[in-house]
Amino acid sequence: MIVLAALSSGPAHGYAVIQEIHRRSGGAFELPEGTIYPALHRLEQAGLLSSRWATAESGRQRRVYVLTRRGIRALADQRAIWQRFADAIGSLLGHPGHAATRTNR
Amino acid sequence: MRSAACWGIQAMPQRAPIADYLEALTRELSFDRSLAHRVRLEVEDHLWEATTANRDTSIEAQARAVMSFGEVRKIADQYAALSLLRQARRSGAIIVLASGVLYIAMKGRVAWYGLMQWALSDTLQPVGKMVLAIDRAAYILAFLFGAVGWAYISSRRVSPRFDVACRSQLKWSFRLAVAAACPMAVSVIADATVTALRLFNERPPLSVFLIPLLSIAIEVAFAVVLVIVIGKTQRSTLRASSLLSRRRVS
Repeated sequence: MIVLAALSSGPAHGYAVIQEIHRRSGGAFELPEGTIYPALHRLEQAGLLSSRWATAESGRQRRVYVLTRRGIRALADQRAIWQRFADAIGSLLGHPGHAATRTNR
Repeated sequence: MRSAACWGIQAMPQRAPIADYLEALTRELSFDRSLAHRVRLEVEDHLWEATTANRDTSIEAQARAVMSFGEVRKIADQYAALSLLRQARRSGAIIVLASGVLYIAMKGRVAWYGLMQWALSDTLQPVGKMVLAIDRAAYILAFLFGAVGWAYISSRRVSPRFDVACRSQLKWSFRLAVAAACPMAVSVIADATVTALRLFNERPPLSVFLIPLLSIAIEVAFAVVLVIVIGKTQRSTLRASSLLSRRRVS
């Protein structure tokens, strides 16, 4: 979900995906950089991403990844699941006295 | 600071950490050459991007980029699981496809014989019946094993690592593929035998015999492709096992 979310703003190559994750998480996610690439391949194999070669300004070949329609749908589903989970945890943590009150009854 | 050997690079002078790292990664991924080539280009771009981001391309900056990227073996491990499962799935799909082609070829041949009103001669009837019974049984077995093997490997989740579970999945996939390929070979041989018997016994004109001959050629071609694909997948698996196990031991 993290990788899909990082690609939601548009096509990007591996290094840019890592930078985007770092930026969006405010530096909270310091993932081992090398693990992102097998993850990108796995998501591509699952049909959630597609990729093509592009030439960077440096002249080096780079692989650019983009979300497929299936990837966009999967991200939306994951977001909805996460939102429900976050709301539930938020409600739970937001009222610390609630559970205690019920126990005292 | 950890030494280069810790990151899976064999001990060598640190003249170019990025080049050494790429060499090591390509070596670890040599069980799948096209994957190794693609990964090398991707990782090379990443490492240089990371190095030049701070406007510093010194040996130390390169070493830092390599270290942030991670250990070669761990990266290769993850790619191995992905690549080998993909190859096993492709083998499974080819077996099912070959079963379909064999079925169409057999039915097409029988329909052609019917159209040409070309029945087996009395002398060939007993042999023909026996060979066709073997053919049918072998084909059914090949189809069943092929379908089970494909369903099995397609339903497996891609393991994040080339671990014991992943190896076990590949082993089972290989066994089922071989179990399907052997009777399929028997079926093709049986088909070829019956067709050859018809040809040598009755010597029809080539125009009549071209369709059966073509259908047998297609069957043989698919059987050969199947054997090659299964063999290639198994060789890749063995090579990956040997490469990645060697790294664990050393």
